[in-house]
Amino acid sequence: MNRLASIIYHGSRLILAGVFIYAGAIKGTDPVAFAGQVANYQILPYAWNYLVAAILPYLELLCGILLLLNKRIRPAVLVLFVLNLIFMLALSSLIVRGIDIDCGCFNPDAEARTTPLMALWRDAGLMLLLISTWMLRYRQHPPEAGDGQ
Amino acid sequence: MSELQLSPTLRRILLEAVILCALAAAVGLSLNYQMVLNAFSGKTVARPKLADSPAEESSSETPVQPLLYPEPIELEELDALLAEGALLIDARNAIDYAKSHLQGARSLPLGELDAQLEDFLAEVAKDRPLIAYCNGFGCPDSFDVGIRLLQEGYQQVFVFEGGYPQWRDAGRPLEGEQ
Repeated sequence: MNRLASIIYHGSRLILAGVFIYAGAIKGTDPVAFAGQVANYQILPYAWNYLVAAILPYLELLCGILLLLNKRIRPAVLVLFVLNLIFMLALSSLIVRGIDIDCGCFNPDAEARTTPLMALWRDAGLMLLLISTWMLRYRQHPPEAGDGQ
Repeated sequence: MSELQLSPTLRRILLEAVILCALAAAVGLSLNYQMVLNAFSGKTVARPKLADSPAEESSSETPVQPLLYPEPIELEELDALLAEGALLIDARNAIDYAKSHLQGARSLPLGELDAQLEDFLAEVAKDRPLIAYCNGFGCPDSFDVGIRLLQEGYQQVFVFEGGYPQWRDAGRPLEGEQ
């Protein structure tokens, strides 16, 4: 990997690590409030919102820590890519249904509000970072050369 | 029939991704099992703190009274209670209430509870079912108001957890300046 690619790879990895560690940690401290945010999407049955709120913060936290440590990058990126895709679908459904709520992406008790459209743009940016991290890691360790993670 | 061929590396990445999810599920569920258990058994999950609640006073001389919690209800159950003459209580602040509130709701903001409680007690009979609401799931004000009303002797106090957003999004009638 040349110098520029290396800078982009580590930059993307560290930005993603910071975002998901923060998101996971802050939501994990108040799972009941986070369950409320999930319920506001009106997608899942009542109890399932709490199941999501119990697990999702730790998944984000775990993947963020792996990105920070530069370990198991591709599994972590794959999980976050799928999660982000689900977030984007959920946000799109809010826009289509005309439901204007706070996205609940970070602090469930925050005063500042992030609209579904703003959150969708932010998630699109995170998607670009995830794809670039995956591709650059892939270039560094192509499949035929073994994973080497 | 052709099978999808995955390289050993890709298979390993997928396996490790599944292990990551399982690990997060194990940690999350072990730390929040009571919350999830309550949610799936239909019990109240939100346990808001009430600063001056009797349960938080520790005294060896006076026995600690168990804190009563209002029962959370869904939109469909709310309809049935309204048909029986239940009163909607808006626990949000007075400005939000003035802008828009559920049709027929009475304002009783958590922040002005002490100041307004005397009038409320004089106006509303103790046997009338009460349904408190605020800004939807995750908003604890309706629970705090509900707890206080139970302490004041009201016998049937419920909390509509979906609150104002769920009512509005369901296209139910609203009142107010907007």
